[in-house]
Amino acid sequence: MKIRMEKATILFNVIGYLVISLLAVLCLLPFLLIITGSVSSEMEIIRDGFKLIPDQFSIDAYRAIFSDPKQIFQAYQVTILLTIAGSLLGLFFTSMAGYVLSRKEFHFRNPVAFIIYFTTLFSGGLIPWYITIVKYLGWKDSYLALLVPPMLSAWNIILMKNFMKSIPDSISESAKIDGAGEFTIYRRLILPLSIPGLATIGLFLALAYWNEWFLPNIFITTESKYPLQFLLYRILASAAVLNTNIAGNLSPDFKPPTETLKMAVAIVVTGPIVFLYPFVQRFFIKGLTIGAVKG
Amino acid sequence: MNRKYARFFAIVLALTLFTALISACSKENKPAAESKAAESSGSETTPAESSSASDPAKPDISKKVELVWYLLGDSHADSPKVVEEWNKMLEKDLNTTVKLNFTTWTEWATKYNLLLTTGEKVDMIFASSWADYFKYAKQGAFLDLTDLLPTYAPQTWSTVPEQDWSEAKVDGKIFAVPATYPEFTPNGIVYREDWRKELNLPEVKDLDSIEAYMDGVKKSKSGVTPIGGSAWNEVSTLFKAITGFEAIGGDGNSVVVAKSYDNPRDIVAYPFTTEFADYAKRMKTWASKGFWSSSTLSVETAAGDLIKAGTGAVYWRNPAGAGGFITDLKKTNPEIEVAYFPFTRIQNYAVPNLSINNGMAIPKSSTNPERSLMVLDKLRNDPKYFNLMTYGFEGTHYSLNADGKTYVAPPKGVEVAQDWKKYDIAGWGWRYEPNMLKEEGSWDGFDKLTEEFKAISRPSIFQPVVLDYEPVKAEQAAVNQVFKQYGQPLMMGLVPDVDKALETYRKKLEGAGIDKVVAYVKEQAEAYYTERNIQ
Repeated sequence: MKIRMEKATILFNVIGYLVISLLAVLCLLPFLLIITGSVSSEMEIIRDGFKLIPDQFSIDAYRAIFSDPKQIFQAYQVTILLTIAGSLLGLFFTSMAGYVLSRKEFHFRNPVAFIIYFTTLFSGGLIPWYITIVKYLGWKDSYLALLVPPMLSAWNIILMKNFMKSIPDSISESAKIDGAGEFTIYRRLILPLSIPGLATIGLFLALAYWNEWFLPNIFITTESKYPLQFLLYRILASAAVLNTNIAGNLSPDFKPPTETLKMAVAIVVTGPIVFLYPFVQRFFIKGLTIGAVKG
Repeated sequence: MNRKYARFFAIVLALTLFTALISACSKENKPAAESKAAESSGSETTPAESSSASDPAKPDISKKVELVWYLLGDSHADSPKVVEEWNKMLEKDLNTTVKLNFTTWTEWATKYNLLLTTGEKVDMIFASSWADYFKYAKQGAFLDLTDLLPTYAPQTWSTVPEQDWSEAKVDGKIFAVPATYPEFTPNGIVYREDWRKELNLPEVKDLDSIEAYMDGVKKSKSGVTPIGGSAWNEVSTLFKAITGFEAIGGDGNSVVVAKSYDNPRDIVAYPFTTEFADYAKRMKTWASKGFWSSSTLSVETAAGDLIKAGTGAVYWRNPAGAGGFITDLKKTNPEIEVAYFPFTRIQNYAVPNLSINNGMAIPKSSTNPERSLMVLDKLRNDPKYFNLMTYGFEGTHYSLNADGKTYVAPPKGVEVAQDWKKYDIAGWGWRYEPNMLKEEGSWDGFDKLTEEFKAISRPSIFQPVVLDYEPVKAEQAAVNQVFKQYGQPLMMGLVPDVDKALETYRKKLEGAGIDKVVAYVKEQAEAYYTERNIQ
């Protein structure tokens, strides 16, 4: 049986769908422009500017990026491994810290939380931080310099703590009565209950690792260890140099990246990580409200 | 509750003390550990140095050493292979290997600063006046090489001209080995010569003929904007050329200038001169004739790309850049004929770059400065080392012609893919002219121009003035802001009323504290002139 709809409702739905689809198309438009820009011919862009549908189709930009395919795939490998390892380790430590801070049995949870929070107010500055990592930890040109610094952030820990606070104490108590140890409680009960929070923080971490280019910029000196973002950002940075006084000193063969190349770089870099969104989205939407409602 | 907190603070206090103790211990331990690490990596230790001092003619190289070198710029995909081969020769001759690192161009200034200020072990680094060589040398980031050079780099010591050494001196000490490559990088323009001939326009030789040329092109060629894309460089360098104003300290965009080469002590802010007022009025007529687009200050397209696309006619370049552009144009658009006009022909003198425009320096943190200098000496003076490092593998990256002075890249008889990149390494710092090779098929006008410049050459007196604007930081930032907001549109003729805009610009500059900036520049320049006896 069909529910009969009033005319006004139908009209409302039609308009609603139209407006929403229009907005969706508008959101997609810039992205489409990047894609078509990356497959346009360079001369056409210089002459007429960017077009939604290019007259001349060219994959020169992609050929230039993948001119050294070994290097690019190596960079992909580094980035993907770093993202996975960093996100998992980061999630593990963040949730452990958050869990401990959320337990009422822990007497000093508030002072400790304060100490963690305190570090977000002040920063040691770039040079002391660099000295710590290079001189005292000896992580120059080591993957550790890329893996460790973004792993734990005070903000994530506080977020996790607030989320886990919303899990009733009686759950862990009941498990204790059944004879579960602290780690079992954390692993078998708390973690599954914190999935929305974990997904949110996991996404933050994964994006941070994926987009990181500053750490490799200052710490990594071996080209085969470059992650993807930095490898490609390097191409674009040479354009900025050409606009400064230094340009006069560079060899005449030094050429700026073309417009199409910039677009192609954006595609190559964002490609894989875009697929992470739909994957975590169902947790993500729920996760965003954490702290706000239940806190 | 209170007792709980008391206990907590007691624990925190104990922890703090404990940490302090540990960190103190580790500090004490550190030098020992480091020296141990240095020994295990095979560094030269003090006894070895003293033995070398006993025989200065032949430095001791019995200990194997690994050096860390940094170059400013990007590497080539094949660089690791080249360096590996190079290291094999070096190990045999000097018992040394070099780990060659590149800063790349991403945030290079930050990275360069970190390398020099954090005391990281670096044995040699690219240094240059445009990478703040004078500032870093004054701050003590580099090692004083004055006494080491004759012993450890004897060939370099004797081949670098006295003038070059003196330009690299800071407070009478040499902190870097300047590259030996006399270079002129005056401003100038590349323009479409074929159109000039076709339209029967006058020879380009001064401001009027440039105007006539662009006017002719604009009128007869539809769809062409004479200076397409960003026209700021073309217009602002032309202004300096016709007025004879000279930038101080190498900052081409500063509004504070010396009024002429002959009068270096006459330092002013150019927006207050009548020359600027006249020029701005003239540029207003140029802009309204459509010599450049009204969005010229915001677009990033290089005018050169538009020449290639057939919609532009004029492009600002220095001679080397013009050479690269012309060579490239021959390949991509052989039908276009361009010519080059250096602004030195308006000024009638050319100022060479400082020798330390490119050079190599040794940071204070180096553990093996002697060996590093020896390697540099080898690299500059031994063609075998020089060619391998600078041009790559013969046969793979280039092939040498029979004359031994020119080369072909890609090498003769080798098929290369479309995306083949010429071997290129950021090797400006060790250039030594007698060892440098010329690429076959490069622009033949370049050598002629260099001859022309040499004939009218005058020493560089403005560039070495060190300006860090530290005492007038706030004023300098404000002036820069005003310059961007009011000065640039005014110079480009993009204002409705020049007189009114000029008045506003001057008022805003005064408000921003331009007087203090001028006074600061004057003071720094005077100090330098006095030190060097420049009148």
